[in-house]
Amino acid sequence: MALDERQAELADLLARSGLGDRAAFEALYNATRSKLFAVSLRIVRERQLAEEVLQDSFVSIWNHASDYARAMSAPTTWMTAIVRNRSLDIVRRGGREESDPEGEKSAALVDESATPALDVERRAQAHVIAECMKGLEPDQRQSIALAFFHGLTHSELAAHLHRPLGTVKTHIRRGLARLKDCLERRA
Amino acid sequence: MRRLVPALHHPLAAGYVLGTLRGRARARFEAFAQDDRALAAVVVQWEDFLTPLADRVPPVEPPARVWRAIAARLVPHNAREEPARGLWSSLSFWRFLGSGMAVAATVLLALVLLRPGTPLAPELVAVLSTPDKEVKMVVEKMHEGALFVHLVKPWASMDAADLELWVIPADGKPRSLGVVPYDRDSNVRRVNLDATLEGGVAFAISQEPRGGSPTGGPTGPVLCSGAITRTKRA
Repeated sequence: MALDERQAELADLLARSGLGDRAAFEALYNATRSKLFAVSLRIVRERQLAEEVLQDSFVSIWNHASDYARAMSAPTTWMTAIVRNRSLDIVRRGGREESDPEGEKSAALVDESATPALDVERRAQAHVIAECMKGLEPDQRQSIALAFFHGLTHSELAAHLHRPLGTVKTHIRRGLARLKDCLERRA
Repeated sequence: MRRLVPALHHPLAAGYVLGTLRGRARARFEAFAQDDRALAAVVVQWEDFLTPLADRVPPVEPPARVWRAIAARLVPHNAREEPARGLWSSLSFWRFLGSGMAVAATVLLALVLLRPGTPLAPELVAVLSTPDKEVKMVVEKMHEGALFVHLVKPWASMDAADLELWVIPADGKPRSLGVVPYDRDSNVRRVNLDATLEGGVAFAISQEPRGGSPTGGPTGPVLCSGAITRTKRA
């Protein structure tokens, strides 16, 4: 895959980290920490948990940096996937549902589909997914955005959107199928 | 081994990456994906699809203690045994380097003494042998001179690969000395040769893609290596 300048730089830092270069790894952390922290914070919603996620994720990135070459993804994609996975794991472990049943926190959720992309120009890939998201039904788009950005489960989505669980599941399933068609057409 | 039916690959991988697949179902899916390359590839496809959405999230600065905690948990790569990256960092690599020494001493002496037109002892010299202890190359450097790479036994023809020479300092992080021919003797001349060699304890040859390592560090197998012997200037 063709990498832009920033991605190529990150790929280089990852490769050097894979060989045990701590300075390169620190540079990699500094170049990505604020974005990845933000991604995790949205899902786990508590700074302390997000700090824990960032820590665990970067230790894992250090340990697996030499595997990155086989991943065939852009460095930010590879690293973001690690952070999102860890965030979802921690949320599962912490049992967030109990701590915030109807929730003021849930009320503060932002519908990402309504906010413009911040740096759409920087990555063509981000542009494509943003365009494909626009092609979804509003209900589908909202459900998928809430699940992706905030890590909401099907039942949390149902509660937040005041829709039956089955309806929410259908929106997600159909929305993902439409996204796949759109992304494959544009790939 | 149990596998997920292909019809479920995309729906479940999408739910996994989106995050709606949770709890035990998520753990089960991860186990499937670990054993099933086709399924793992579908997961990567969905990560490539969806993850760029995260670009929209406005950055939030984490506190400095996060990095300090990460740094405290990093295990140096050369302290781990890792068969995949193996030779460069594993103990067995260094053991094999050590075992080459006895052979090295004998062969080295013979080569240095027998080669005509060698008025001075080299500044440093290393005999490089394969993991099977077959001596393949001798690398030596005269004072104020280039590095001389002598082929003891030529390599089999390399179609899609190049040989790259590395000097390995005591901290184990290889420094490249560039690509060397597989079929003839050669000289390595570099502006900063002495600085590159400083602190080097061994030379090694790795097999790399055409043109040398794309990463700045060795990526292919170590074909031969040998400890450096330094001599005092006469």
